[in-house]
Amino acid sequence: MSTAVEVDDLRFAHTGADLPALERVSFRVSAGESVALLGPSGAGKTTLLALLDGRLQGWSGRVSVLGAPLDPDLPPPSARRSDTGFVFQEFALVERSTVLRNVLNGRLGRMSPLRALMGSSTKHDLEIARTVLADCGISDLAERRVDSLSGGQRQRVAIARCLAQEPRLILADEPVSNLDPARAGEILALLAGAAQARGATALFSSHQPDLARRFAQRIIGMRAGRIAFDVPTSELNDDATAELYREVEPIPGIGLRAVS
Amino acid sequence: MAFRGFGGFATSGLIAAAILWSFATTDVELSRLMSAGPRIADFLGRMFPPDPTVMAEIKKGSAETLRIAILGTLGAVILSVPLGILASETMVSPAVFRSIRTLLAFIRAIPLILVAMLMVGAVGLGPLPGIIAVAFHATGMLAKFYAEAIDGVSRAPIAALESAGAGALVRLRYAIWPQMAPVVARDTIFRFELNLRESLILGIVGAGGIGFYIQTYVRSFQYDKAASVTIAVVVMVIAIEAINVALRRRFT
Ligand SMILES: Nc1ncnc2c1ncn2[C@@H]1O[C@H](COP(=O)(O)OP(=O)(O)O)[C@@H](O)[C@H]1O
Ligand SMILES: [Mg+2]
Repeated sequence: MSTAVEVDDLRFAHTGADLPALERVSFRVSAGESVALLGPSGAGKTTLLALLDGRLQGWSGRVSVLGAPLDPDLPPPSARRSDTGFVFQEFALVERSTVLRNVLNGRLGRMSPLRALMGSSTKHDLEIARTVLADCGISDLAERRVDSLSGGQRQRVAIARCLAQEPRLILADEPVSNLDPARAGEILALLAGAAQARGATALFSSHQPDLARRFAQRIIGMRAGRIAFDVPTSELNDDATAELYREVEPIPGIGLRAVS
Repeated sequence: MAFRGFGGFATSGLIAAAILWSFATTDVELSRLMSAGPRIADFLGRMFPPDPTVMAEIKKGSAETLRIAILGTLGAVILSVPLGILASETMVSPAVFRSIRTLLAFIRAIPLILVAMLMVGAVGLGPLPGIIAVAFHATGMLAKFYAEAIDGVSRAPIAALESAGAGALVRLRYAIWPQMAPVVARDTIFRFELNLRESLILGIVGAGGIGFYIQTYVRSFQYDKAASVTIAVVVMVIAIEAINVALRRRFT
């Protein structure tokens, strides 16, 4: 099976931070796999996903995404960015624009800058937008402005925007942590299902072990910038999970309850 | 505390010195001020009653002032779009936005009436120097406002478009612009109001508009006509303010 993500001895520190956010991180994700990054707040999940998305520079080690190496010091070109889709924890939608406009924004990297600036979406772009809106169950919201939507609806729009990119790798950073538990399961099922239906690789982060377990084939545990374990979901053991969250008591109710 | 006390003392001393210096070095003859009383009364008397026959001139002058303000604002918007982008902390490198901001501060520091006088010298009498002067002067403020509007938007949707492969200008168009549009509308209307108000007097230096008539009538001793035009200007300023209050309510 071909490799979607390969990370070898990755290290990274944010500018101005005392401690590195990622240290000696190595793992591999096969094409089509669905993998969860599990870890408490501050473990380095957001940093790792943003880095794989080509939005962080100045790291060391080797990282290759969808068969091509990332440059530690240069952002990847537009076409490669389009191949990797990203779903943000806080949705990151343009609030004053319509749902359809936000979804079409996912197509911007696939067109020439000139055409993008002139605002001329092709039939093909609109066709894709219509399809992903239907897949995400929000066809009837297309003309609504995002600032009039609920959290669950917003994340559906964000997933639709990501799918509109036609990504081969989908990165999702705590995509449901801002939603209530009922919505959370629904939205993760949508995301995992859409990735599978497209044969796309999915790598999502979560601080909730139960959600990671339900939607991933494999779970990578992170703690303090390092990988603590990397196991198939069926082999995830409660002690290892509890160890991830040891001494992280200021944030109550994170997963500990779910495993104890 | 002691320092502040000393600071207060020094400030008072400085103000007193400035006033004494002004009196000592200016030709203010108090006797002339006394005898001026009857002359000022005579002058005011000649303004009354205001001559209502200049209605046509008032209309023509106001229309020209309005045109100067509209076209001057248009020019300022056209200049402020690129300069606003170049003055934004989040769009360009520090070297670029710092030099553009300095340039804009210099532009703001030159009074409109001075720019208008220079423009009359450069392109001759009429509304054209007024329009150019307003466009130039207003850009100093409007480009700064636009830059602040760009820098004030939420960053997350911009990162999302970057992630989708959109370049800087495309991100400006689809992630930044929709967020800043209401701010830009508000700032532009605010600047238009200032332009309209400030261009009322441009005619005094020959740069077109209603101010031209004030200057003409005062120079030819037709104070009753000058009074009418002055009343018209005051009415317009009040009207502009009222409209602005109404608009502000809509944009907040
Ligand atoms: N922009 C930043 N500047 C400095 N430090 C940061 C920044 N973003 C994250 N960090 C630090 O990097 C570490 C990892 O953070 P993050 O990747 O957000 O973890 P997670 O997503 O698992 O909660 C934390 O210690 C955090 O404080
Ligand atoms: Mg995070």
